Amino acid sequence: MLAHSRVLDLLKYVIRASTSSQPIEARIDQMLKSLSVAFQTDECFRLCPEEIAKDGFFSPVLREKTPLWAEEGSYPNLGTVLPEERRFLRPSFACIPLHDEVSFHGILYLGYPDRRRFSPEEKDLLLLIGKEMGEVIGNAEFHQQSQQTISELTSLQEVGKAVTSSLKLEDLYERIVTAGLTSLGAKGGVLRIQDRKTGELKVSYSVESYDQDPEDERISKRVFFSKELFSFHPSTEEDGPSVLCAPLISKGRVFGTLAFYEKTGQPFRFNERDAQLLLTMANQTSSALENALTHYETSTMAHDLEMRLKQYSTLWELNKALLTTIDLERIIHMTLTAITMGDGLRFNRAMLFMVNQKDRTLEGTMAVGPDSAEEAGTIWSILSRNGAAPFEFLTHLEPPSDPHSLLNSIVRGVRVSLDQEQCNLAKTVLQRKPFHVHLERPGDRPLDGRCGRGCHLGAEVGCYVGERLGRDPRPYSFATVPLWGKGEVIGVILVDNLYNQNPITEADLRYLSMFSNQAGLAIENANLYRNLEAIHQELKETQSFLVHQGKMAALGELSNSIAHEIRNPLVSIGGFARRLHRMTPDEAPEKRYTETIMSEVVRLEKILNDFYDYTRGEAMTFKEIDLREVLEESLSMFSGRVKNGGIEVIKDYREDVSKIVGDFHHLKQAFGNLILNAYEAMKGHGTLTVHIHPVLKKGMSRVRVDLEDTGHGIDPENLHNIFNPFYTTKDDRLGLGLPIVHRIVTSHHGQVEVENRLGEGATFIVTFPVKEEG
Amino acid sequence: MKKILVVDDEENIRLLFKEELEDEGFQVDLARNGEEALKKVSLFKPDLITLDIKMPGMDGIETLKRIRETERQLPVVLCSAYGEYKQDISTWASDAYVVKCADMTELKDTIRRLLGL
Repeated sequence: MLAHSRVLDLLKYVIRASTSSQPIEARIDQMLKSLSVAFQTDECFRLCPEEIAKDGFFSPVLREKTPLWAEEGSYPNLGTVLPEERRFLRPSFACIPLHDEVSFHGILYLGYPDRRRFSPEEKDLLLLIGKEMGEVIGNAEFHQQSQQTISELTSLQEVGKAVTSSLKLEDLYERIVTAGLTSLGAKGGVLRIQDRKTGELKVSYSVESYDQDPEDERISKRVFFSKELFSFHPSTEEDGPSVLCAPLISKGRVFGTLAFYEKTGQPFRFNERDAQLLLTMANQTSSALENALTHYETSTMAHDLEMRLKQYSTLWELNKALLTTIDLERIIHMTLTAITMGDGLRFNRAMLFMVNQKDRTLEGTMAVGPDSAEEAGTIWSILSRNGAAPFEFLTHLEPPSDPHSLLNSIVRGVRVSLDQEQCNLAKTVLQRKPFHVHLERPGDRPLDGRCGRGCHLGAEVGCYVGERLGRDPRPYSFATVPLWGKGEVIGVILVDNLYNQNPITEADLRYLSMFSNQAGLAIENANLYRNLEAIHQELKETQSFLVHQGKMAALGELSNSIAHEIRNPLVSIGGFARRLHRMTPDEAPEKRYTETIMSEVVRLEKILNDFYDYTRGEAMTFKEIDLREVLEESLSMFSGRVKNGGIEVIKDYREDVSKIVGDFHHLKQAFGNLILNAYEAMKGHGTLTVHIHPVLKKGMSRVRVDLEDTGHGIDPENLHNIFNPFYTTKDDRLGLGLPIVHRIVTSHHGQVEVENRLGEGATFIVTFPVKEEG
Repeated sequence: MKKILVVDDEENIRLLFKEELEDEGFQVDLARNGEEALKKVSLFKPDLITLDIKMPGMDGIETLKRIRETERQLPVVLCSAYGEYKQDISTWASDAYVVKCADMTELKDTIRRLLGL
């Protein structure tokens, strides 16, 4: 029998514990301790519901909610005693069910080592305390559940807010997974969304690295295709993490999965409640997430369309600008500028190489771009301050301010044979498609001078074969696109972002290709126009040549009969003068008169001979000759004058002058005439400089002879007539010298031009085609 | 004394040639045109003929052809104001071609050569 004071103490402790704000476990412990002291038990503890086997000895207590009294070593036969339950079967013990109105919270156990009985008061007291404990535990659990529900609801609300907000898709994914982690108390989570294009179930967001485990993909695929929740609850921690994975379904269509791993704290696995919560979450997020995805896709598409629209309108502006001219140089300059300008295609540098079909080579034509990073900075800041539209900017584009920029001169010096299939430039022409080359590790040193393939781009800006690289140690990327004319590749545009190192994207290349197609047509048109102009010029030249020939033929006819008429009287005059001369004594004054008649007749006959030479000409004998030898011969005819007079002759003959095919005698006569002309112009004092050097004209190798005198130049009034027979500014000559020169030179397919410096002298420039090999 | 027939339509030329050649010791007869020349060939029987090409009526080339029909061995020197007939194959039937010149040295040399003097 318990002492009255002890009962009061016990009740005091139990009430204090039940109303304490301490955690439930501590309160139960305090109650058990008080009970143990008051009832002087050997053992006093609480059996949790999980510890009570369903078909064990104690299950009726749980089921019937009735206490079990074992007194004096006997107890009612309630059923089988499981092995683990044997220890509870002490000589005396009591089991009081702990429950509230809703659920069962375990059993209060009091055990004694000796046989004893429980008095009715003791039983009442224990039942009362058991009821109190049940209520306390029930309240505490209810409170805990309410807390959890509130936290779950808060998480769900978070998720709800997240999916309906206008967050970036990545942030949205993060919020969904984080909210799930908090409400489920999970350690890791993986959100997978199906890619609409590829169908692949892609990881969109992951906390911890469960997405790396192939198992995760397997689980999410299973959930994706079954459209059902997957849960795995391991019995021990060694069996792996606990998993919950729910499908994301909107309008009956699965579009992703949401999985959570490893419950934190005790117990270490997810329960049914967690599963339900995840399903609720998945349902709530699905349609919103789907909407967000659709919205995202739509806005991406809209952005894409906007970009394209902008690109198209820029292209239109650029093309419009290209149509304002047919000047080839200008079109090329505009094209390359458009590629590099900020309102255009925004590359750092652009270079153009044109295909030369005849030689099967690519020839560097022009480059636009700064030579150094400093220059790039200056140019870009100027350009960004210039707010004009691309069209305005391009149409007011000045010719290249510095045509001899380093880059331009390097590019202009490049010739790549199309047979060099490994060169990226040649490859672009041969395979007719763009190439994007990215070189991660540049070579240790730049190429010195030209590479074995004859291209020295490598030394300055990177070798486009891609084997060795430029001076810059940074990774280097460049792209090449073919330039299309009418159905064929007429050139290659090379671009890079050397200075700002912006990556070259697929979209950039597409855009560049679109533009280069337009530019190619413009360049092709300009080229055709230029050819047309050249042909027109040639026709004009041919026409004037034919007219000239026609005039000469007519003149020949006329001169023949006139000359005949003049020749005969001249012969008579001269002949009789000679007779008179012979008959006149040497001392007679008439001797001087006959001499004058004779010499004048000689002069007239010479003019007639020149004239004859001009109008008829003698047959020429063409041989391979060296113009330097011809010039030496012509100059030697005047060696006497050089010695006597104050005229200095400077000879500047280049070693690498090719031979030409011509008539030595006629050419000697032609140059003789030019030299005579120079002497007469200098009136005995001055310098005659003779240059002989090779030149390229219209892509043809030629030899050029310059005869530069320091005479008085040619009166502009007479300039257009100097090659005209019967025209002269000198009193004592009929001026057939220059027409003869002209006739001889043109019959050698050469050209003769004059550079006049009035009052300072004149330079006669004669060019001949070189002898073609083979 | 060798006989030379000078055929030319220009009177002054005929006179000049006659005097110059006579100074050289030749007997000279003259003809004003092709027809006259053909008659003189049979009458005068010259050892050599100087023949102008451009003449009214029968020209020197035609005359040369006619002379060659009978006189294959008779030396004929074509004597023209111009050298353009040098390319004319018909003139090749002559023995020499001399462009007329106030300085008659070339003509005289040619004549002496053809006559073996």
